[in-house]
Amino acid sequence: MSVHWDRYRATAGPGDGDCLSLKGSSFRDGGLRQIASQTVRLGRLQPQHPGHRTIFCNDREANLLVRFKGNSVSTTKYNIFTFLPKGLFEQFRRVANLYFLMISILSTTPISPVHPITNVVPLSLVLLVSLVKEAFEDWKRLQSDMAINNTPVEVLQDQRWETIPWKKLQVGDIVRVKQDSFFPADLLFLASTNPDGICYIETSNLDGETNLKIRKALERTWDYMLPEKASKLKGEIQCEQPNNSLYTFTGNLIIDDQILPVSPNQLLLRGCSLRNSDYIVGAIIFTGHETKVMMNSMNVPSKRSTLERKLDKLILALFVALFFMCLIGAIGSGVFISRKYFYLGLTGHVEEQFNPSNRFVVSILTMFTLLTLYSTIIPISLYVSIEMIKFIQCAQFINKDLHMYHAESNTPALARTSNLNEELGQVEYIFSDKTGTLTRNLMEFFKCSIGGEVYGTRVTEIERGIAQRNGVKIDETRSATVIQEKGFNFDDPRLMCGAWRNERNPEICMEFFRCLAVCHTVLPEGGESPEKITYQAASPDEAALVTAAKNFGFFFYRRTPTSIMVRESNIEDMGNVQDATYEILNVLEFNSTRKRQSVVCRYPNGRLVLYCKGADIVIYERLAVDASDNIKNLTREHLEQFGSAGLRTLCLAYRELSIEFYDKWNEKFIQAKSSLCDREKKLDEVAELVEKDLILIGCTAIEDKLQDGVPLCIETLSRAGIKIWVLTGDKMETAINIAYACSLINNSMKQFIISSETDAIREVEDNRGDPVQTARVIKNSVRQDLDRYLQEAQLLLRSTDGPRLALVIDGKCLMHALDPSLRVSLLKLSLNCSSVVCCRVSPLQKAQVTSLVKKGARKITLSIGDGANDVSMIQAAHVGVGMSGLEGMQAVMASDFAIAQFRFLTDLLLVHGRWSYLRLCKVITYFFYKNLTFTLTQFWFTFQTGFSGQRFYDDWFQSLYNVIFTALPVIIVGLFDKDVSALISKKYPELYKEGIRNMFFKWRVVAIWAFFSVYQSLVIYNITLVSSQNGHNSSGKIFGQWNVSTMAFTCVVVTVNLRLLMACNSITKWHHMSVWGSILAWFVFIFIYSGIMTPWDRNRKMYILLFVLMSTFYFYVSLFLIPVVALLGDFVFQGVQRLLFPYDYQIVQEMHRHDIEESRSDLLEVGNHMTPDEARSFALARLPREQSKHTGFAFDSPGFESFFASQQGIFAPQKPWDVVRRASAKSKHKRSKA
Amino acid sequence: MNRTGASAAEPSSGSGDGTGARRNSKRPKYSRFTQQELPACKPILTPQWVISVFTFVGIIFVPIGVAALLASNHVVEIIDRYETACVPPNMTDDKIGYIQNPTIDKTCTRILKVPKDMDSPIYVYYQLDNFYQNHRRYVKSRNDQQLRDRSKANDTSGCDPEKTTSDGTPIVPCGLIAWSLFNDTYNFTRGNGEALKVNKNDISWKSDRDHKFGSDVFPRNFQNGTLIGGGTLDSNKPLSEQEDLIVWMRTAALPTFRKLYGRIEVDLKVNDTIMVTLKNNYNTYSFGGKKKLVLSTTSWLGGKNDFLGIAYLSIGGLCFFLATVFTVVYLVKPRKLGDPSYLSWNRNAAAQ
Repeated sequence: MSVHWDRYRATAGPGDGDCLSLKGSSFRDGGLRQIASQTVRLGRLQPQHPGHRTIFCNDREANLLVRFKGNSVSTTKYNIFTFLPKGLFEQFRRVANLYFLMISILSTTPISPVHPITNVVPLSLVLLVSLVKEAFEDWKRLQSDMAINNTPVEVLQDQRWETIPWKKLQVGDIVRVKQDSFFPADLLFLASTNPDGICYIETSNLDGETNLKIRKALERTWDYMLPEKASKLKGEIQCEQPNNSLYTFTGNLIIDDQILPVSPNQLLLRGCSLRNSDYIVGAIIFTGHETKVMMNSMNVPSKRSTLERKLDKLILALFVALFFMCLIGAIGSGVFISRKYFYLGLTGHVEEQFNPSNRFVVSILTMFTLLTLYSTIIPISLYVSIEMIKFIQCAQFINKDLHMYHAESNTPALARTSNLNEELGQVEYIFSDKTGTLTRNLMEFFKCSIGGEVYGTRVTEIERGIAQRNGVKIDETRSATVIQEKGFNFDDPRLMCGAWRNERNPEICMEFFRCLAVCHTVLPEGGESPEKITYQAASPDEAALVTAAKNFGFFFYRRTPTSIMVRESNIEDMGNVQDATYEILNVLEFNSTRKRQSVVCRYPNGRLVLYCKGADIVIYERLAVDASDNIKNLTREHLEQFGSAGLRTLCLAYRELSIEFYDKWNEKFIQAKSSLCDREKKLDEVAELVEKDLILIGCTAIEDKLQDGVPLCIETLSRAGIKIWVLTGDKMETAINIAYACSLINNSMKQFIISSETDAIREVEDNRGDPVQTARVIKNSVRQDLDRYLQEAQLLLRSTDGPRLALVIDGKCLMHALDPSLRVSLLKLSLNCSSVVCCRVSPLQKAQVTSLVKKGARKITLSIGDGANDVSMIQAAHVGVGMSGLEGMQAVMASDFAIAQFRFLTDLLLVHGRWSYLRLCKVITYFFYKNLTFTLTQFWFTFQTGFSGQRFYDDWFQSLYNVIFTALPVIIVGLFDKDVSALISKKYPELYKEGIRNMFFKWRVVAIWAFFSVYQSLVIYNITLVSSQNGHNSSGKIFGQWNVSTMAFTCVVVTVNLRLLMACNSITKWHHMSVWGSILAWFVFIFIYSGIMTPWDRNRKMYILLFVLMSTFYFYVSLFLIPVVALLGDFVFQGVQRLLFPYDYQIVQEMHRHDIEESRSDLLEVGNHMTPDEARSFALARLPREQSKHTGFAFDSPGFESFFASQQGIFAPQKPWDVVRRASAKSKHKRSKA
Repeated sequence: MNRTGASAAEPSSGSGDGTGARRNSKRPKYSRFTQQELPACKPILTPQWVISVFTFVGIIFVPIGVAALLASNHVVEIIDRYETACVPPNMTDDKIGYIQNPTIDKTCTRILKVPKDMDSPIYVYYQLDNFYQNHRRYVKSRNDQQLRDRSKANDTSGCDPEKTTSDGTPIVPCGLIAWSLFNDTYNFTRGNGEALKVNKNDISWKSDRDHKFGSDVFPRNFQNGTLIGGGTLDSNKPLSEQEDLIVWMRTAALPTFRKLYGRIEVDLKVNDTIMVTLKNNYNTYSFGGKKKLVLSTTSWLGGKNDFLGIAYLSIGGLCFFLATVFTVVYLVKPRKLGDPSYLSWNRNAAAQ
């Protein structure tokens, strides 16, 4: 830190004098002008930031002049004034609504055959429902905003800490934040109760990383802890303007004419929370919407489902149909109109629409007339119905599904968007992250090999699976000594409780344990007793190793900057405990090129030892030549054995150092460490000097536990025709291991491996070092591999029972394979493979692969992941699924659905997705059908009215058709229809393929509906009219037009409602209630409508009409005949289709037709009856949350480097995905604020 | 999956600490609705069902069809098209001139023969053809307020182009519909010279008379416009008694329509001849429309209407036929219900 600081000071040096003098005056006058000029002066310090803000700490009056934004935030879309205009505007962005608005306007002109009511009523009902929904959602947002804004925080007022809500905070206020609470705004860190002015923060809300980060206050401000002292603080902060970059900050704190540079290390961001420090005190820099987290919050790009996009095409087709219907009518009207029809009174002055002398104008105007008349062909209530259906599906079905509730983490599934339910039913490719998604991210010390001897009796899932396949029964006995603890799942009486002293070689065991206890970068927390302590580690692997050491009797309990304290028991004899302090002389950090980590420590007795742990390849390279080959070979065997069991391995080695050698080396080390350029590289080089001639101790095996049911889930999904790709940052071996473990790859599959770790490539990399040259070589080799594999794959696929294919590719090769020139072959090859594993991929590459399949192959993709590094992938896919219930929220925040366990994908896709898809298809096609049928009867009538555009139906019939008489049943079907039960859906995953092939919303399906729609409309129209020509009761009186149309409308309502019932797979009482209710509603309506006379009924045509109609036998005879005839066609079609061309689901229905649907309520109390294993993991889940997590192979954690690095004043390098994310956030958010 | 296996798990552990956890649990509550387990009936359209439904429909439809057809057959109908025959032979080339010439006597005599006994009442209809009473311009050219309410006599909105006379006084009843009132008249005599009285009362729907045409509204200025369209009205009779007008103004749905003219309340015997003396006043020649005179009895189903009976019979027959076809198809190419080998993935596997 101090180096840094000095550098800043040095740059500030020359201007110092000026600043000081000016400062004095500005404080005296305190005018705005001076502030401005002073700002300019000080600007010299950071010429790169022309615009910056000046904040007076603890001085509200001074800050008042600048009018900083308040700290209250609002995420609502509307306020009370903007709600109506803005909400309406949003609604009219939908084509259907806009169309209806235009039609409504058109229908107020004399051109229109219908009263404006016809179109206004449905439109306003639809708008009303949509607006109510919007208002409801916004209300919920408002409430959560209010909750946040009213969170209490302590602020310094008059030398006391006053509790005020967050929203009242202002820039410049001094606040005190308690442990575990969130920072209310972006703060400048002043003081902490911790010594050394440090505090720990958790940033999971920002980046999803849950390892703690360290922030350190400026030394000058450490003592502003108590209110009396803090109130004396009269500093001034100059810093950059608010921006959305989370990892950068520049500014100066000016106290008592001293300019102190402020870095991100003193910045506490809103959204983070304080950990491990009782209190901190900070000054507010950015508030409310200007905080970095708010400026970073981007609207998740709203996704639309593929089905909806196809629906747009259908609507377009309807518009085309509408156009042609109008065109036919318009031409007809032009041809028809003639003066010979004297009764039309066409002589003399005639309005343009009927003027026979200008037939063209007649046609044009009739075109518009018909447009208003046929407007019902566009299903106006479709969108709002779909929205309601999807909303309920999400809120009631997905979110409340007990099968997707995870008891251990107490997390139900969460649908974060309701747009994509049916998309879940059509997913063909799943892109999955590995750690935390397929695996639990729960690392447990599982086995080890010490001095050529394997310890650990537990059996992994994979081994068990292999054994099962081979028909071997493994029985696992647990000894009484078994210790259950997070991170430790090891059992071997030979090592536990000090029994290791009786082993063949206790010395090497001791080295092994010491290495585990000493060589790490873990921080202990809690208390210094084995029960209370929790380990704070960059990766769970590290924590597991230290926990293991603890359980072996080497309890690491305290770390000071220079030493590690270990409570060692059972060293000399049983029950003996002694505390040992190991002085840590040097830490040779882990990084991804070194793949190892070493510490040089001094024993209390002065012995100097270097402990090293790392990947087997790098350790084996550095072993002493004369060391016993026996142990090396045995250990290598064990490593392979562990690897094939899906365990993660690390090799442990040590080396004794002589004092002379060490001193010499240490000099070089210090030199390298203090060098200003290429420090990393120099440090690596120095490390090489000491990390050699190692003596192998053994190796550890850590189980990265697969989540429950992952292999089964993957198998089920692949039977469903879904292809699963694993995209992971892990090394290739680990990735392949896991792929085996999840039965993504098995030995009967043909594997294509494209790796950059070939000798040829490595040689080029090592020798030439020229990046351009290297890239070319890699690209060529990738090209060759791709071409070769593609040919092979095509050959294999042509043979009938060739093996299934799997592709494994690493990140470096992927980068080249994604090059436009190779992309096509990559896509071809990977689409032919049933599983693909990409390892060592960056977050950006994950997204690229996803879009490659999404855009290149036009398949529906789903991404599932848990970490910040999966965000880009989650957003790139059609459907993004986040793993919830873990610490990080970033993936969940970016996702469309959040589930707690990978295996819930089965339910999400095969049950909810499939049903939603089926239902939505049914709803859409039915909507299409019912509106077409209705409109066509109107269309046929046009032919017999001289194309005049006379309406067939009464205004109210037409306007209520869509919103009352046929609205509810289709929604009920959208909610309740199910072809087969949830259990059967999962038993026959192949049923899902119908969704992937989009069997239920093809043009063929639409055409069949359309065909029957035409048929039905012809039947209804013609039978009604033909049979209505004569007198209809014994009084011989004749019906008029309105009698006939009411008859026809009754038939339409009955027919379309019954047609829906025919389309149902399962009929609940709700179906009956809604269908019969809708028909009843029509009769009730017409009874009332024709029974009363209203002033609005312009010509009383409907009065008593129904009663006249119902007094005839004709009414009943026709009403019975017409729907039956109309539905006969559909019935025959359905019968034939089922008999001769059954869908898969229909067969399955038949197979299970006698099943009684068992209520699963009794099975749902799973949480109460736990198997011992479940009980264990449940108990673990209930332990105090440990703030650690992260990805990949033991030390691969992206958070790792930053953790210790920041302590040393070295800023963590920005991670590539941050850059990507920020870039995308910037481009999406065109902010007006500078 | 654990849910199937869970029933095997012993109900012991975990319940103790479970209660504490349950309080904060986000575990969704069980309900049949949210778990989508509502009791439902799941009809499967098996061939048996299809065949039974067809048979059932057939069994229901054929009797109804027979009954409807019998009813229709019971009805005796005499139709006489007269618009061409009533034009004097010398005028056949200029029918419009003939009809528009008020000086020519339009009387015409037609002889009808009764094919079967016709029981009273015998309904007299006129049937027009190619007359678009449903044309939009025509349909809306009326004012219902005016028809019903004496005080609204001046309200002629919507009556274009027959609102007012040339001097601007309102026409009652206004509008094209009333203006084009049909005005052919029929007089019937039996072959023996006995005049057959035509009862023109109660030929309109009662609801129309009572509620739509005012009993205190009298025709005014009717057919006093620039052009004379059709029939005239007795300006001393209120509209509610002008039943021809009321019938005419209930506009027809199709361009071919019948309207009730009156009732003959005398039984007619088979082979009776009826002489119709009609006044062929109404101009259908302009637009080539036909005019027919119809005498008809009724049944419970109304007038002669074979269509419904035939429809029922043929649909019933079709259902029997389809039932047979399905049976045959089912026998020839049976598909075992729920045969897993029909599943597409099994079929594909078998194909390979």
